[in-house]
This record gives sequence, structure tokens and C-alpha cells, in this order.
Amino acid sequence: MKLTESFRISWRAITGHKLRSSLTTLGIIIGVGAVIVFMVLGGAFEANIAQDIQEGNDEPGMWVNTQQQAGGFGGTQFVDAAIYTESDVAALESIDGVEYVAPEASLPVAQLNHGDQQRTGGFAIEATTGDRLEEDITTGESFSADDELVLSAEATDLVEGELGVGDEVELSYEDGTSKTFTIVGLVDDTSSGGNNLIPTAGYVSLDNYQTTVATPDGDQERAYSSMIVTAESAETLDETQEATLDYLQTESDAAQLKQDEYDIRAQTVDDAVDQIGDIIDQFTFLIGGIAAISLVVGSIGIANIMIVSVTERTREIGIMKAIGARKRDIIQLFIVEALILGVIGAVIGVAVGLGIGYLGATGIGWPMVYPVNWIAIAVVIGMTVGVLSGLYPAWRGARVDPIEALRHE
Amino acid sequence: MAVAEAGQQSSSATTVDLQDVRRTYHLGEPVHALDGVSISLPAGSFTAVMGPSGSGKSTLMNMVGCLDTPDDGEVTVAGQDVTALSGTERAKLRGTELGFIFQQFNLMPRLTAAENVTMPLVFHNDIDEGRRERAETLLDRVGLGDRLDHTPPELSGGQRQRVAIARALVNEPSLILADEPTGNLDTGTGAEIMDLFEQLHEAGRTILMVTHERHIAEHADRIIHLVDGRIEEIEQVGGER
Repeated sequence: MKLTESFRISWRAITGHKLRSSLTTLGIIIGVGAVIVFMVLGGAFEANIAQDIQEGNDEPGMWVNTQQQAGGFGGTQFVDAAIYTESDVAALESIDGVEYVAPEASLPVAQLNHGDQQRTGGFAIEATTGDRLEEDITTGESFSADDELVLSAEATDLVEGELGVGDEVELSYEDGTSKTFTIVGLVDDTSSGGNNLIPTAGYVSLDNYQTTVATPDGDQERAYSSMIVTAESAETLDETQEATLDYLQTESDAAQLKQDEYDIRAQTVDDAVDQIGDIIDQFTFLIGGIAAISLVVGSIGIANIMIVSVTERTREIGIMKAIGARKRDIIQLFIVEALILGVIGAVIGVAVGLGIGYLGATGIGWPMVYPVNWIAIAVVIGMTVGVLSGLYPAWRGARVDPIEALRHE
Repeated sequence: MAVAEAGQQSSSATTVDLQDVRRTYHLGEPVHALDGVSISLPAGSFTAVMGPSGSGKSTLMNMVGCLDTPDDGEVTVAGQDVTALSGTERAKLRGTELGFIFQQFNLMPRLTAAENVTMPLVFHNDIDEGRRERAETLLDRVGLGDRLDHTPPELSGGQRQRVAIARALVNEPSLILADEPTGNLDTGTGAEIMDLFEQLHEAGRTILMVTHERHIAEHADRIIHLVDGRIEEIEQVGGER
């Protein structure tokens, strides 16, 4: 029996029971739709985060930090270890392709005083190099002395009454000492590194950073727990990243100072996006897997309806067998019918899933993403589910004894 | 003239040959549905089978129709030993050499008249072209040339049986099997259907028909009377027509 013939006959059987066929495909529609919705939302969430990260980082740089393996989701966690010494910073700056190296060093500031106004906690002051800020200065200039401070444009309301260039602020350190700074400029760049959960309110010269460690050579040097390395151009970023990592992991002080279980990482924006993407992918996959359970339910629905259908059509099967249908013709008919139901369900499910996913993503404000792989997988799964759930009913149908069947009312 | 023709053909070919066929059903105590039946159907013959219910008529039809196989004895249809064939081979024999006509018409309810007629070709013929024309010719011959695209529920009982007859002819069968073909029809329509059977007979078709109505059976050349799974009498129908 030719496949086209079975499609024609099976299609008649499906359209002959419209309500039943619709309810059967509904199981597959919901299953495939749910998987697609979660894939769209997961992808959209990821794309949104990638967009956010990239928006704040248009310079071709990388963030050097230390991580260690951690149990559970995400795989690694950041370690706050001051292992990147002044010598390392100087060595990195001499590498070809490196534009500048900006160590990141948070000062242990407890309180900010401006006149009789105070701000305690909820902000960070970073010591860094002047170069790093220059491009983003909107008002005034970068610091040139160790008692000058560049304020983040978003931190002008840190205390009541607006802070601005020329104002003096007093920083109280956690060890009880304090120091007065003059604000010399405003900077528009607030996203400096990666793990700053507390917004950086201002930047001061590295001379204010007091953390020192003993280097392998026996000297006392300032050391930092992370730094930003900027490449001369975006085209050479990959090579610069490689050279930076290569140096840090072999010859640097950091390589010797770090604990064995720590890893030195140099993450570009793309790497950060990839890493976050991996984590989101795992979650998406997990939720998608749960959604896939409804696919199993859908396939049981198809099998159930097909078994009813075989029983109901016993007489028709008998007729077909009497006029020459072989077992495989009957099997083919029922499998094709289940296949059609599965494919229709999958196709509608993909459409419904994309629709709901689109509404959800745009509703939240995430960019729309089309999970092409998953669409293909969903259609293939729909077909497979159709065929598998049609197998047993088809086999039952093929076993029908035409003599009995023709007696069947 | 038809009888003479059938006689001539019978000397050259035998369409169906049953030798000492036995079939026993074990329903509590054994029931001998067929108890040593030997029948030969010459090509071109028209044979009727009569008998009370439970006499083995249906079992005989199932044997000749290759739907059932005997416990003992030999069944030869269109030159093939049915007992030696596999299920698939028997299905092929049914699809290519036999044409079935049932009391209940047994049409596919969702297919059109034309599609029902060509249904046997779907299973054993890979040619698409000309199928519609073939259905048209056959339905025209049974007087339904204007009902090609009607589905069975849209047709009367007599019209349905005509579609079934056209279906039985579509594969140019060696043998037409009819099981109470007029059983579900009123007398007038039944008579029209029997006219069609006579036309088929005159065209040289071999027919085996089961009926319990004497006046229907008398359309055949001969009547086999079955009682309790045995042939009680073979009656030649002569001068009636």
C-alpha cells in the first residue's frame, strides 16, 4: 500500500472525528507548546542579560579575577584574594596589545561625611588608575593627587543636597582613621567590573589602597583581588586575552600566591555572557524537561484514542482485510493516523509556544528569541510520540480477525 | 446459453476445489461446522448454497474466501493451495482473485462510492492512473454513474449493494463470493440486484452465493444444500429460465 494512499484514508478518519482528533492533538499541543514557551523565555532572558552586560561595556577589555570550583549550579564562585601584585600589573602593561591595566581595589570605607550630612554604608569607593576613568569623565577631570576623588554621576545624591565638582567629602575608614578628598570630576561609568553588588560611588588614586602582600621575591607590594585589562583594539582582544592569561598563569606572582584550588580567569564581556548563558541554559533545560512530561501525557492520550479508534473501527478493519488488506497495510494506516495527529499537534504546539513566548518576552521587555533547534526537536518529538503511541493500537488493529470483525456490529 | 458456456469452461478450468474439508469449533463441546465437504466450482459457474442456520454456510464461505483455513482437507482457489499460504499471501489472494459481496454491504463509511470501488486496488496495485475511470465504468455498469462522489450514508440500501458489486469486480476476480446479497433489501431492490448477478453470470463470471431464500437461490445453475456441515443434496436448476 502506498504511503499517499494511507495518508488519504487516515486523513478521512481524522476529519471524520473532528472533536476527538482535536482533543487528542491538544495533548501534544500543550506539551510541545510548553517546551517551546520555556525555551523562548529562557533564550529571551539570556539575550536580555547579554544585552545589559554589553551595553555597559563597549571597551575591548577583560576582567581578571579568581574563581574556585563550587558545588551546585553555576559551577564556580568568585574568590576575593589579593594575589595580583604591582609587579604583575606592571608586567601585564608591558605585554603587546594591552592598552592599560586597571587594578580594582575597594577601600574599606565605613562612612562618608559632607558638611553635616552623613552616609553610612551602601556604597563603595574604589582605588584605581586615572587612565581608566578618563574616557568617561563628564565633568571636571580625573584625579591627579591622592586626595582627589572622582564621583560617579549616579552618586551625586549620596547625601542630601547635590554633590558636585569642588565639594569636599571626608571618608571614614573601618580602622577608625579618616581622610578628606576633593571632588575633581564626575564619571558616567558605573559598571566597572563584574561582581560589584554595591554601587561604586567614587574613585580615588591607587595611593590610597593599603593592602600589601609579601611577594615570592620577598618584597612587600600592593596586591589586588581583580583588575581590568583593556586591549588596544577589539580585533586583537582574543590574542591579548590569551597573552594575559598565559602570563598570569605561569610567570606572575599571582600564580604562586594563589591557593591550588583557585583558578585565575580573564573574562571578556563575551565570556561573561557565555558563562551566565550556561547557567540560564541549565535552568531552561530543567524547566523544559518538566514541560516535556506533558508530552508524555499527550502521547498516552494519542495511544488511548487510537485504541478506542481501533475498537470502534473493528468492522472497517475487517472489511479492509476481507478485500485484501495485509497486516502491514492496517499497521501503516493506524501509524500514519497517529503520525498525522502528532505532527499537527507539534506544528500547532510550536506556533502556540512561539506566540505565548513572544507575548511573555515582549511583555516583560526581553528581546524575542526563536529557539530554532528546539522547534526542530519539538517537531521530531511530536512525530516520534505519534508513531510510538500508534504502534500498539496498530498492532491490535492488525490482529483483528476479519471473520469476527465482519460479524461485529 | 450461459449454462452451456459455463459447461464449456468447466472442462478447461476449475476455479475452486474443496476436498474433504473439515472444520471443527471447540465451544465447550466440539461443533463440526464442516464435516467432510468436497465441492468443485468450474469457471463460469453460478452456485448457490442453502441450508438452515448453523449448517456451515458461513464457514464454507470463509473457506472459499480464504478468510479461514480447514483443520483437515484441501482448499484450492485460483490454482493455489490455500492451506499452504501465509496470512499475507492469503490477503493478496483475496485482493487479487476474489470479490466479496456481503449482506451488510460492508462499505467504508467515510470513503466515496468511487473510492470504495477502487479500495481493493489500493492494497495490491501500485498504479494510480485510470483508477477513477475504472470506478466510473464499473459504477456506470451497475447504474450508479451519477453517484461517484456520494458516501455510503448518502445512498440507499440497493445503491450501496450496487457499489459493493462494483467493488467486487474492480480487480477482475476469478470468483465472486456473495453472502446473502439481498438479505437486507426489499423484494423489488433484491430482484434488481439478482438481475445484476445474472448479467455477471452471463458475462462468464464464477459466482458462489449463500442464501436462505429459495427464489434467490434459483437464479443459480445449481444449489448445494448443507445440513450439519455435510452436503445433503446438490440440485441442478434447469428449465426455470
